[in-house]
Amino acid sequence: MKPLETIALAAMLAAGTGAWAADAPSKPMKMDEPMHGEMKKRSMKKGDVKKAAEKKEREMKPMIEKEAAGSARK
Amino acid sequence: MKKRTMETSLAGHSGKLVRSIERRLFLRQGLSLGALALLSGCELTDDEGVQSLLMGMSRWNDRAQGWLFNPNKLAPEFPESAITKPFPFNAFYSVDEVESVDGASYKLELAGLIRDKKPWTLPELYSLPQTSQITRHICVEGWSAIGKWSGVRFSDFLARIGADTSAKYIGFKCADDYYSSVDMATALHPQTLLTFRYADEILPPKYGFPMKLRIPTKLGFKNPKHIMSMFVTNEYPGGYWEDQGYNWFSGS
Repeated sequence: MKPLETIALAAMLAAGTGAWAADAPSKPMKMDEPMHGEMKKRSMKKGDVKKAAEKKEREMKPMIEKEAAGSARK
Repeated sequence: MKKRTMETSLAGHSGKLVRSIERRLFLRQGLSLGALALLSGCELTDDEGVQSLLMGMSRWNDRAQGWLFNPNKLAPEFPESAITKPFPFNAFYSVDEVESVDGASYKLELAGLIRDKKPWTLPELYSLPQTSQITRHICVEGWSAIGKWSGVRFSDFLARIGADTSAKYIGFKCADDYYSSVDMATALHPQTLLTFRYADEILPPKYGFPMKLRIPTKLGFKNPKHIMSMFVTNEYPGGYWEDQGYNWFSGS
């Protein structure tokens, strides 16, 4: 194989591996760490989303089920 | 000399002019009050009562945006050459913490005002007629990027599952615990897609595998990724960022 072809092949393999690595999740979310991004308030932690989602689920689920049951009876 | 009061000064003018000036005074006083509130610093906005008032105003703003929303007005579409490379990753966590969803066992759960609540597997979803669009994703943080998404027109999917499209809201729950909701008019907009591909490839985890709701008429945080379930309801579902004070409608 010519040197140029070898370099090109190596670059393609490296790029492919890099792209795969970028998409592969490597660690679980650390809930007690500050949030990423610009939308957060200073004190917001990643785990706040899970807590809020669970609270929302508790609030919404009975309402949605009652609403759907009422609709099914019509 | 007779003292001129506002009443005597305006006495000879038409009622229309008086009303116009009264409106101006009201606006000026309102602006002064607003300026005073700003000058008092952040403490005022931390107050629970003020937060509640601001949330109420934001909900009123949502209704106004809903009235103004034109379901036939399309967001601009772009050529392939305009696509932003690489398309930015954005979430409340870093890219190496992206939620891993197992596509083989995945099923989209349906709830609420939907006639056929049968869960959908990925092969079933992929078999639906699909369309592509190249549109601009606009983030509330102030940046934007153009990308190509492909998937099923959301209005077609809603028709297929027998969703009650006279209901007000559709809510979404995501694998990373994020949640959001949209108004029905936006859900039925022709450019709102339930997407399974980005740049002609299966959505990579960082862009929302297995599916992302792409709404080019709304800000980025109204485009949930990693959707695991959805429900149709008349009860206001809010959303994570929306419940923190971001405007719920956030669209045009």
